[in-house]
Parts: sequence; structure tokens; C-alpha cells
Amino acid sequence: MKPNALLQLHPMTKFYFSLFILAVVLIVPGYWFAFSVFLGLVAISLLAGVFKEFIGIVLKALVSVLVIVFLMQIFFFPGEQVLWRWWIFEIKQEGVYYGLILTSRILAIGSAFVLFFRMTEVRDFVKSLEDKGMPPMGAYVVLSTLQIIPEMRRQANTIMEAQKTRGVETEGSLFVRAKAFIPTLTPLILSSIAGTEERALTLESRAFSAPVKKTSLHKLTKSRADRILPILFVLIILGLLVWRVVLWQTS
Amino acid sequence: MADIVIELQNVSYRYPVSDDYVLKDVSFTIEKGKFTAIIGNNASGKTTLCNAIRGFIPHFYKGDLEGIVRVGGKDTQETQLGQMAEQVGYVFQNPFIQVSGVKDNVFEEVAYGLENLGVPVDEIRLRVEEILKLVNIGHLRDKNPFELSGGQRQRVALASIIVMDPDILVIDEPTSQLDPVGTEQIFDIIRLMKERGKTIVLVEHKMDLIAEYADNLLVMSEGKLVMQGPVREVFGNPEYERYNIQYPHVTEVALQLQKSGMPLAFLPVKDSELAEALNLKGVVACD
Ligand SMILES: Nc1ncnc2c1ncn2[C@@H]1O[C@H](COP(=O)(O)OP(=O)(O)OP(=O)(O)O)[C@@H](O)[C@H]1O
Ligand SMILES: [Mg+2]
Repeated sequence: MKPNALLQLHPMTKFYFSLFILAVVLIVPGYWFAFSVFLGLVAISLLAGVFKEFIGIVLKALVSVLVIVFLMQIFFFPGEQVLWRWWIFEIKQEGVYYGLILTSRILAIGSAFVLFFRMTEVRDFVKSLEDKGMPPMGAYVVLSTLQIIPEMRRQANTIMEAQKTRGVETEGSLFVRAKAFIPTLTPLILSSIAGTEERALTLESRAFSAPVKKTSLHKLTKSRADRILPILFVLIILGLLVWRVVLWQTS
Repeated sequence: MADIVIELQNVSYRYPVSDDYVLKDVSFTIEKGKFTAIIGNNASGKTTLCNAIRGFIPHFYKGDLEGIVRVGGKDTQETQLGQMAEQVGYVFQNPFIQVSGVKDNVFEEVAYGLENLGVPVDEIRLRVEEILKLVNIGHLRDKNPFELSGGQRQRVALASIIVMDPDILVIDEPTSQLDPVGTEQIFDIIRLMKERGKTIVLVEHKMDLIAEYADNLLVMSEGKLVMQGPVREVFGNPEYERYNIQYPHVTEVALQLQKSGMPLAFLPVKDSELAEALNLKGVVACD
């Protein structure tokens, strides 16, 4: 696989980019802009080769939220210009406008962060936070949780299988599955609590609390782009702010 | 007098929740470079003794500790836990818990301790490479530590500790999940560590291998250190029979023969000594 220049950016650069999108979308008025930002993000996901996962998560996680938010706004946002009325429901011009603004912004900001996590290994992100001074214990907690979740899922499956052999119904509707799943929680949680004591000892035996500065095999490098881009982001944001202020004063 | 690196004086210990003492008035010394095996039946306190040597008692497990534990001349009660990692390597009995949980391949898993010790990266790579080869897990280097078999985990756990190059190795049943070939390999590694001057404390039930490799024995029974001394002396002492602990196979056979009237030149503890012990010099011994 050819390494992708976008994916190879430093995690912090990608993170700053998400914050940059957040700021820009909030500064620039109008939903057209926010929607085009979203299209821009889609383009970036294509370039970075993560389009499929990106759009999948956006559709699954964001769209339903957006629809709800939008409906809430068009029906309940106070306004005068009624576009459409049925029984006690009425849609107002202001509601539509505000709904579009809100949803377009949520879409742009939300997808900026989805894109961030699609383009960045959490491991790398945590490492960059650690480089920035996050305590090793914090980093450990995040990383071990990430590792343990699939492990717990595996354990849960084993327990479910065991239940199945005892004749407990584990397939079917959501309700049936929930009923089968809940009893597995107790052993799962108990075993992970028992695990923490032993894990602490394991860490100790691997010199986790040795009073020296740790080194790391995993090195994050900063390229020229990683140095230039954050400055660029700040400059653009400043420019936009100035533009907004000027616009506001002349109007 | 030789260098004493581990010294216990009248050590008694009780876990916070247990009613009875798990270690009862245990005293012994271990000299630098010696290979000492702790033997005893289940729940006799072997693992607890290891925890005391490593300082997990009293720093991690609270409870009542009496007596003095000195490692490298220092009282463990006054040493910080973090400072002992470099000095005492401890391989746990349960291979399934000895995964850092933050590394997704075996190479990095083994390297983890060295990262924590602040060893420069280039040196880490060299040392890990060497140990992977030594412990014979080179082929696992890219595998996820969570997806290994018990035996594989046991090797990774051992590798992760010896790579840190501690002066003292405390190893609790490192071969429980291993087949005979794997077990021999582990003992070979332990022997090599001894040749490198490490002090070794090993808990193990496989008496044949202990007789072959260890210098001294500590025999635990119900929390008491009931016998101690050079391997041959302990196995040769009639008192040993009382504790219902296994003998090396060859010793067992020889004792049976002796009971049925066959005279022994001496009590064999290693397979290779059987013929000589039975005064059958010149006859080929098969096993
Ligand atoms: N964390 C603990 N908390 C309370 N009691 C414990 C704890 N660990 C061990 N014990 C108790 O201490 C006693 C000695 O246990 P220990 O694990 O030292 O035995 P062992 O000789 O290593 O046995 P095995 O051969 O099974 O490994 C046992 O009775 C056990 O129940
Ligand atoms: Mg034990």
C-alpha cells in the first residue's frame, strides 16, 4: 500500500484541522458555506482513501440526529412567516432557515471529527498527547481500554455461546438478545475488576512506575506541512474574524 | 562469605482477608548467582513468598507483615516499588494476566519494560531482537499478545522480563502451560541466565528438572519453610518423605529398589546417575 500523504500528517495537525473547521463554520454565516465545507471534507476523505468508512459513520451516526434537529427547528422555532400549516403544526420560514443553519453546522463539525478519527490511529493521537505532556497513566488508561474492548467482546461472545448451549435464547429480536446479554454482564464486569489488580502488578513488573523518563519505540515525526498548516489555520481564522468585524461595522 | 542478595528473617505474613498466616516465620538467605528452587504442594505459600521477595508484599498487598525482607542489602519495606523493577524481574504464575494491554504485537510487548526504563530506542531494538531469538518466539513478533496460546504467552512473559536484564529473577511456575519440549527450552534459558550470573528463584513442580539444574531447595509446607539446603541433601533427607511432595522420578525408583532390599551406592537425583548408584557401572542406562 502506498503511504498516503494526508494520513501521514502528524495527529496534532489533523486535530488542529478539525478545530479549524469548527471555528470556520461558526464564523462564516449561512448554511451554503457549511454544506460546502462538508463537501470539502468528503473530498478529503476520498483523497485520504477513507471515504467508505467516513461516509458510513456519517450516515449512521449523524443523519438521524440531523433529521431530528431539523424537524424540531422547523416546527418549534418561533417566527412569523408561516409556510405551511396542518392542525396544530405549522412550519415557519425562520424555522427552516435556522434549522438549515444548525444542521449544516452540526454536519460539518461532526464530520470533521469523524474524519479525524478515520484518518488518525487513536494510538498515534494518544502518543501525541503524551508528547504534549499528558501523564503516562492517562495514556495507559485510554490505550488499554481500547485494547480491552475487543477482548471483552470476545469474552462476552464466549459467555453467550455457553448460554446458548444451555438452551438460553440468544438470537432474534432486540429484546431477546438484550435478555440474553444482560446476565453476561456480571461475570464480565467481575472478571475485569479482578483483572485490574493483576494488571497493576503486571505493569509494576514491567517497570511502569520506574522513576525515570520513558522512551518510546513509537516516534511521531513532524514534516514541513505539519509546521506550516497550523500557522495557516490560525491566519485564516484571524482573517475571517477581521472580515466579520469589518462587515459588521460597515453594515 | 559470599554475597547475600536475598535475605528473609523471621518473616510471617497474612493477607488482609485471610484468617491464618500464609507465611509462618520464614528465614533463609540466597547467595548471588545461585539457582534456588521453591517447592511445595498447592497453597503452601510459594507464590506468596515470591510476592514478598519482589516487594509486592507489603507495597501492593497490605495485610500483616512481620520480620525483615532484604533484597540487595536493602529492606524492601523501605524501597519504593518502582525502584525494584530493574533489580528483581518477576514472572507470574498466570500467563494470561501478563500482557501490558497497550501493545498490539509481541515485539512491542517485549519492548514495553525497556521503554519504561528509559532505554534508548536503538538499544531496545537490539535487545528485543536478541531475546526473541533466545526465547524462540521470533515467529510471533507481529502477533497480537491477546491472541496467543497459554504456552506462547508464557514465553512472551518470560521474554518480557529477562529482556530487562534484572540481577535477580523470580519465576513462578513458568512451564505450567508448556509441553515437554517447551519446558526443556525454558530450563535451558534459565540455565543460560544462571551462566550470566543472575540469581534465580524458581517455583516449579517438575522435580526431575529441578534436580538437574537447581543448586538449592526451599521446601514449603503450609506456610512454613520446612527444609532448605543443597538439592541432593534435601532429597536425600528421610524427613522429605513426610511432606508428600514428589521426588525426582529416578530418586523415587531408587528408593523403591532400596526398600525391596537393593543396596544403593548413593541416592541418585539425576537420571544419569542411576546406573552408578546401583553399582551397575558399564551397563547402559535407558530411560
Ligand atoms: N491475594 C490473596 N488474598 C488472600 N489470600 C490469598 C491470596 N493469594 C493467596 N492467598 C492464600 O494464601 C495461601 C497460599 O497461596 P499461594 O498462592 O502462595 O500458594 P502456592 O504455594 O503458590 O500454590 P500453587 O502451587 O497453587 O500456586 C492460599 O491458602 C491462598 O488461598
Ligand atoms: Mg503459586
